[in-house]
Amino acid sequence: MAVAESEFPLVSRRRRRLSGRRVASALAPYALLAPAAAIIGAVLGYPLYLLVRLSFEKYGLFELVRHHGTWVGLGNYRKIFHDSQFWHVVLRTVVFTAVNVTLTMVLGTAIALLIARLGRFMRLLLTTALVLVWATPVVVAVNIWRWMVDYEFGVANWTLTKLHFGNFVHHDWFASSLSGFGVITAVIVWGAIPFVAITVYAGLSQVPQELIEAAQIDGARAWNVFREVTLPLLKPIFIILASLSIIWDFQVFNQVWIMLGERPSPDYYLMSIYAFVESFRINEYGLGSAIAVVMVAMMMVATLVYIRQMVKTGEVR
Amino acid sequence: MAAIQLVHVSKEYGGGALAVNDLNLEIAEGEFVVLVGPSGCGKTTALRMVAGLEEITDGEIRIGDRVVNDLAPRDRDIAMVFQNYALYPHKTVYENLVFGLRMRKVPKEERRRRVEEIARILGLEDMLQRRPAQLSGGQRQRVAMGRAIVREPQAFLMDEPLSNLDAKLRVQMRAEIARIQQTLAVTTLYVTHDQVEAMTMGHRVAVMRGGVLQQVDTPQRLYDSPGNLFVASFVGSPAMNLLEVVLERDGGTLVCRVGDTDLELPADTVGRRPALERFVGRHIAVGIRPEALSEAGEDPDAPRLRGRVLLVEALGAESLAHVEVTGTPLDRPELVDVAASQTHLLPVGERTATLLARLEHDTGVRPGHIVDLAVDTRRLHFFDLESGVAIAAAAAPVTAAAVG
Amino acid sequence: MSSVAPIAPVPVAPTTARPAAVARRRLRRGHVARRIGINLLGLAVFTVMIFPVYWMVATAFKPGRNIQDYKPHWFPAPATLSNFTNAVHRPYFWTDVKNSLIIVSFVVVLSLTVAFLAALALSRFRFYGRTAFIFLILGTLMVPLAALIIPLYITLSRVHLINTLTGVIAMYMTFVLPFSVWTLQGFMRGVPRELEEAAMVDGSTRFGAFVRILLPLVAPGLVATSIFAFIQAWNEFIIAYVFLHDGSKQTITVWLASFTNLHGTDWGPLMAGATLTALPVVVFFVLIQRRIAFGLTAGAVRG
Repeated sequence: MAVAESEFPLVSRRRRRLSGRRVASALAPYALLAPAAAIIGAVLGYPLYLLVRLSFEKYGLFELVRHHGTWVGLGNYRKIFHDSQFWHVVLRTVVFTAVNVTLTMVLGTAIALLIARLGRFMRLLLTTALVLVWATPVVVAVNIWRWMVDYEFGVANWTLTKLHFGNFVHHDWFASSLSGFGVITAVIVWGAIPFVAITVYAGLSQVPQELIEAAQIDGARAWNVFREVTLPLLKPIFIILASLSIIWDFQVFNQVWIMLGERPSPDYYLMSIYAFVESFRINEYGLGSAIAVVMVAMMMVATLVYIRQMVKTGEVR
Repeated sequence: MAAIQLVHVSKEYGGGALAVNDLNLEIAEGEFVVLVGPSGCGKTTALRMVAGLEEITDGEIRIGDRVVNDLAPRDRDIAMVFQNYALYPHKTVYENLVFGLRMRKVPKEERRRRVEEIARILGLEDMLQRRPAQLSGGQRQRVAMGRAIVREPQAFLMDEPLSNLDAKLRVQMRAEIARIQQTLAVTTLYVTHDQVEAMTMGHRVAVMRGGVLQQVDTPQRLYDSPGNLFVASFVGSPAMNLLEVVLERDGGTLVCRVGDTDLELPADTVGRRPALERFVGRHIAVGIRPEALSEAGEDPDAPRLRGRVLLVEALGAESLAHVEVTGTPLDRPELVDVAASQTHLLPVGERTATLLARLEHDTGVRPGHIVDLAVDTRRLHFFDLESGVAIAAAAAPVTAAAVG
Repeated sequence: MSSVAPIAPVPVAPTTARPAAVARRRLRRGHVARRIGINLLGLAVFTVMIFPVYWMVATAFKPGRNIQDYKPHWFPAPATLSNFTNAVHRPYFWTDVKNSLIIVSFVVVLSLTVAFLAALALSRFRFYGRTAFIFLILGTLMVPLAALIIPLYITLSRVHLINTLTGVIAMYMTFVLPFSVWTLQGFMRGVPRELEEAAMVDGSTRFGAFVRILLPLVAPGLVATSIFAFIQAWNEFIIAYVFLHDGSKQTITVWLASFTNLHGTDWGPLMAGATLTALPVVVFFVLIQRRIAFGLTAGAVRG
């Protein structure tokens, strides 16, 4: 090749030009990515770095004014890990997430299976309702449910009393954190069902009809067809939906915050609320950051599952 | 093992159109019957009704001595091979094979024994732990067969099981399926659109068109005595040449007037087909199989057609000549298999027809030559131009529903 | 084995076991009952799902005396628009709608422009670091806003952008941009590269092929992504709540909170305000739902 190059200058010139173009085209993707990378770095990357740094600092009102924190090493972490309230909040958040995700997945899947069996008119009606619910902004949804469970004029209290579930006249749903979380769970599950139901329904309609028929001929009853054929085929979808639900439900903030009139009592603290209150109510930004860092670390697990499944199904190529 | 009977079976989808129209068919115990026809002819619907995947609008289906009309597929004790194999993608080959046995609560030891035996017969032993995605097309096909066989069902139903294979593998699997069916002697209903497949595999072949059964017969009889124009044009490759001719009497004999040429028919023609008498002086359709045409010898009296050679396809063992003759090509698309009639890609004039002739492989005929084709007039087929029904030989009762 | 005689014209003797017609009717009756049952269940689920939305709209049209009644009035009769007039005439409604619109427009234009370029790189080039960048985009999901808000507050207080729309616009990019990049590259991957290659073979430059072939084909995807970005930004609460202190600087979602004070809640006007807040989102969402729904899950089901 080297010989040819020296003997035929024309060829070599052509080659050099080509390689020049090749360099340009090799740089092009980086140039296209640069703005996005810069913005993500500025509004996500730097704050994340700062979050981690803050978690090692004492950063209160004084430091906020001074624009400078005081390094305390693992002090904040030591503090929260020795704080029984922190562990309560972690446990509460985990249980809360588990309950919400389970309910969302089970009910969403059940509704998807129902949609698949409905007549055309009912199917259209139900999907329309689902899309409407899906479209309802969280802030609006919380206010609707707050109104429905209002202790004085709420439709829930009247209905439950009429249906003889007990005396719900002037029942305050938020007096006990258990029933309060019940309402919050209702808002979240109600709002999350459409995404799960419509996605699973779309998945169901992609399961080849022949496989179902083959299973029927092989002697499987409806439940076995579902368990042996449909469910395994939809496993990737379920993994993705479950990991997304975990990610979303683990960081719930608005529903609790607005539902409880922006003043939740400690019984209602989830990790996001706790971190927020420590920072912005008590002005202990360092402590709040430490809680937030633990939270991010915990969410990383669900995110990794999600990304892994996206890679497996060929979405990341 | 059990016979399958379809008695006056019809299928109507919404809108009143009948996908299957009054189908009567019996598949004897151990028999291999192929349902064949162009796409949309109702053959797959018929098969799916037997499987229980499609509700029956009218009529009755029996497997053995049970009426299965309202039995779920799982209770019919049949096995089916699907066009796309329908192997469970998330299960291994072993799990695919064993699934039906598990669902039927066959004891574990028995399950293992049967699956392993089938795997041995089909040469799948080394692949039992693989997933369908890791198999080649032929191997998948074999697993699908195995899944049907392992259940030891009353009957096999196969829905175009070879259509996803490449040509060479198809020929190979064709023989393999026929061999397996022969060994196991399981009642089999096989659906295909490929008439070659139908002819080579079936003990009997049932030809369907537009939801209506046209003819059921052994492959040979289907080929030798097609009951109507549709069967005549559908069966056989290359397809039968079909011409519109005038039947005349010339003294003591009948002649077919093809264009300007008179083809004298053998003296005993009317004796063999008395019905032909009624068509004297009228237009009828005549069918000539390509092998009934040959290069004419010296005998000037032998019936012959003269034409210009348009194209010669050398196939090795023989040569197919496309010869343009004076005459009227049959123009009744509603009575013939459209796909077959479309094989005449060469320009067809108003007064000329193109005939396909099967000639010797060493024929000297070349495009542009004028040739005389000897016509074996004993092997002509005659059809009523109006109904398309064969003007039948007296001794051989041939079933043919009028095309409706 | 093969029976030569054709059987077609010879009908098989009908069985005496059970006439087919009877069997068929029985099957159909069971079928119909099942179908009615399923559709009734569907109706029940429909009612439960739609009721809260209905209740919001119904309450919004009810006069105050029918709202403040222990016994619910199921239908807004008599209907009134007074709740809407009340809501609209509350302080800062129009200002906050304007603020929301300003923020949302900047966020959409900015993030879509940047995301388009990034999506182009991800879907049309192979390069070192590509997969890493995709992981980064998907990884942003795990950062909860409630956690991010702390360092963002510290940072913005340093650069004095607290209580400005500019600061909020910048912060909205944290969640709108990654999502837009991801959805857009999905849309672009849906356009076969062969189309551009054909254009290039036909004499177009690479850039020309982008403009003339890819751009028109991903236009619907661009619209869908913009609308979804709009919805996300419009619905955001916590950032606006923390960073915008003055009533005249807030967004519409924060404005909704102003109905509740220590004396209780004005349910009628609140539901009217909620209806108004949700309206643009619902309209847009219904338009694009089909296109956008599967961005986060697409391709997960394959036969």
